[in-house]
Amino acid sequence: MDLAVETRALTRNFGSFRAVDRIDLAVPAGSFYGFLGPNGAGKSTTIKCLTGLLKPTGGTMRILGIDPLADPVAVKRRIGVMPEDLALFERLSAEETLTFVAQVHGLDRATTSARSADLLELMDLKGAGTTLVTDFSHGMRKKLSLAAALLPAPRLLFLDEPFEGIDAVASRQIKDLLLSFVSRGGTIFLTSHILEIVERLSTHIGVIAGGRLVAQGPIAELSAGRAAGATLEELFLGLVGGDAPASASLDWI
Amino acid sequence: MTPLRVLKAFAWLRWRMFVNSLERTGSRDTLERFSLAIERLGPILAAILLVPSALMLFGLGIYAGYLLPGDDSNVPFTTVRFILLAVPLLAVAGPLFFPAADRTNPTRLLLLPIRRSTLYAAQAAGAFGDPWNLLLVPLLAGIATGLAVAGAVTAAFVCLAAAALLVAVVIGLSALATSVFHLVVRDRKRGELIGLIFILVIPVVAMLPALMDGSSRRERDQRRQPLLPAWAVTAGRRAFVAYPTELFVQGTRAATAGDQGRAAAAGGGLVLFTLLLHGSGLVVFRRLLDSPGTTGGRRSAPMRAAWGARLPGLSSGASAVALAQLRLALRTPRGRSILLSPFAVFVIFGVMMYRGSGEMNFGPFSFGNGLSLAAFMSFICLISLLPIAMNQFAVDKAGLTLVLLSPLRDGELLAGKAAGNALVVAPPALACIGASLLVFGGGSPSLWLSLVLGLVSVYLLVAPVAAICSAIFPRAVDMNSIGRGSNAHGLSGFIGLLTFAAAGAPPMLLTLAATRLLERPSLAALLLAVWCLVAYGVSRLLFVVAGRTLAARRENLAMVA
Repeated sequence: MDLAVETRALTRNFGSFRAVDRIDLAVPAGSFYGFLGPNGAGKSTTIKCLTGLLKPTGGTMRILGIDPLADPVAVKRRIGVMPEDLALFERLSAEETLTFVAQVHGLDRATTSARSADLLELMDLKGAGTTLVTDFSHGMRKKLSLAAALLPAPRLLFLDEPFEGIDAVASRQIKDLLLSFVSRGGTIFLTSHILEIVERLSTHIGVIAGGRLVAQGPIAELSAGRAAGATLEELFLGLVGGDAPASASLDWI
Repeated sequence: MTPLRVLKAFAWLRWRMFVNSLERTGSRDTLERFSLAIERLGPILAAILLVPSALMLFGLGIYAGYLLPGDDSNVPFTTVRFILLAVPLLAVAGPLFFPAADRTNPTRLLLLPIRRSTLYAAQAAGAFGDPWNLLLVPLLAGIATGLAVAGAVTAAFVCLAAAALLVAVVIGLSALATSVFHLVVRDRKRGELIGLIFILVIPVVAMLPALMDGSSRRERDQRRQPLLPAWAVTAGRRAFVAYPTELFVQGTRAATAGDQGRAAAAGGGLVLFTLLLHGSGLVVFRRLLDSPGTTGGRRSAPMRAAWGARLPGLSSGASAVALAQLRLALRTPRGRSILLSPFAVFVIFGVMMYRGSGEMNFGPFSFGNGLSLAAFMSFICLISLLPIAMNQFAVDKAGLTLVLLSPLRDGELLAGKAAGNALVVAPPALACIGASLLVFGGGSPSLWLSLVLGLVSVYLLVAPVAAICSAIFPRAVDMNSIGRGSNAHGLSGFIGLLTFAAAGAPPMLLTLAATRLLERPSLAALLLAVWCLVAYGVSRLLFVVAGRTLAARRENLAMVA
């Protein structure tokens, strides 16, 4: 199987705290991989390691067949990232942000113009093309960050909570766009707390809890051992141990 | 909830915020721990020095109060009087120069089940968190204690009452200034404009008296003309009598002299001030709570073609970084101040020089022609670049993550940042040099060329050092802030100053050698051209170090972003 992301014993410590604990990811090329986990499980730290923002404490990685520690620039040319903090210059407009991304990827002006226009149209940001990011709402920032990740036409997309704070219309458009991206051979590595969306979009999932990868594989395979009609939420809660009833009843509320 | 419990809760909140700011470093390695420790050294030292300062001021107050019955113009009391003069000014300036994040966000307070008047009282009481307001208390208490020790018990009580009123006035002033400041910056565009005005106006206003004094020294010797018209002097003196701290001084002196009428009048003035300030403070605070924040709806100029240009000698990626750095300077108050403040200084010095028929003496600086003014202005332009150059990565905030995720090599990022900073500093520096040449002239063409070459050599040497410092000591800043919130890391700024001085010494010495030692000014440009080549070589070597430093600190920079 051709893997877009492959890690062996990937580990990341912060002082004495182990945020990511020897995880072995295997993300097939052309898959829509949902990376799930409770808050503080290590999802964002894993993405930061995979995208080169953090150096792993241990283990090996291969992104699209390239070792990102040996040749980070080659990897970055082939991936698009929408990180947790959205990574936008506050004092650039939407158009300028896309121009910046195009320039660092070495795209020519004609391509930049055409792709920027398409993405701004798709993200419903055309009217805000010259507005500075600092004046954008959270949802607009998300859409612009996604547009910036898509602009260089990457083969692999890392998306950290792309649907959080996005309205229903935009969410639908983005879902269609991402599915179209995968159908053309692209790979998506996505984290989200909205399990219904992950269930609807993902072909594969990985579940991380306490820094350890507790399950990974095609959704259909992982659901096989569960009762018929079991949802991803039930599967997820079963894996991370969150299906127990709340111990405190809070009867004072 | 009772008002007392609310005040207690707010006092605890502020204390915890202060303690947490010192304790929770979140540092990732030794170098970062060191960097953060240096940053926190100022507040820790201030906190430590607060106790001895309070004791010293209390002692000074006691001594001044003790001597007051015998001599109402004794030196300690006069000293106290001058110290007090500064307090209301600091109460107004405090909210402007301390980052807004350090103060409680008033809008969030609306969510609490507390009456607005109580909220106002809690907000006003927060002014005691400012050291100048806090230190006022022992100083004033000391004077009353001194009077009591000297046997003037009635005067001591009057002094104590006046002191309480003065504290209330200062607190009211601080609360009003804080609310007005928050109200102004509620509209971000308006806030940025006000910020820029303050950045430009305050240094100019601060320099004016010295400049006016320096420029009119010869005239004053000849004609003894006053600086201000007589009516302005009279009006100023009358207004000064009603200055709050002066009312306290008058009231205390009158009570000590047994003139209860004058003491009551001064006390009445303080009561009036208290009511006026807290009344208007409450009105502005209510208005602040009721007003929504707005953005001002800024749009960038449609100049995509220019911003997407590839700069000569740079890769496409490095050009993008350079232009983003320039835009940061053009679109933030602090960045604009870097571009504009040299012009303001140039205009002042230029006018003074013009008035002095091409000559001006200002403190240690003596300007005999346009060349010396141009040299001084070049220095000002380079120094004004410090906040952005010495923190060149962290100023991008979240944009830095975008840069670090981009397929840029360390060399491209460094080249882009260096070129971007050069684009920020070059226009004001070249404009000031050009204007000095056109208006005042003087000096040989070789010396003018030397000046430009000297400027280039200084920048060549400073640029890699700035990159190294920025990578080692990144500081999360807000370039919209007009105070220390937008300054580079203290140690980085200090190293930057030293580097500017060290890099500026060789061009100066070479110019002096050509003009004074060899007495051939035409040789200066040649010597400086050679020095530029040497500086370029040294710069290339330093950029190798900068590249390694950046590679080692990428992760820390990503975490700061």
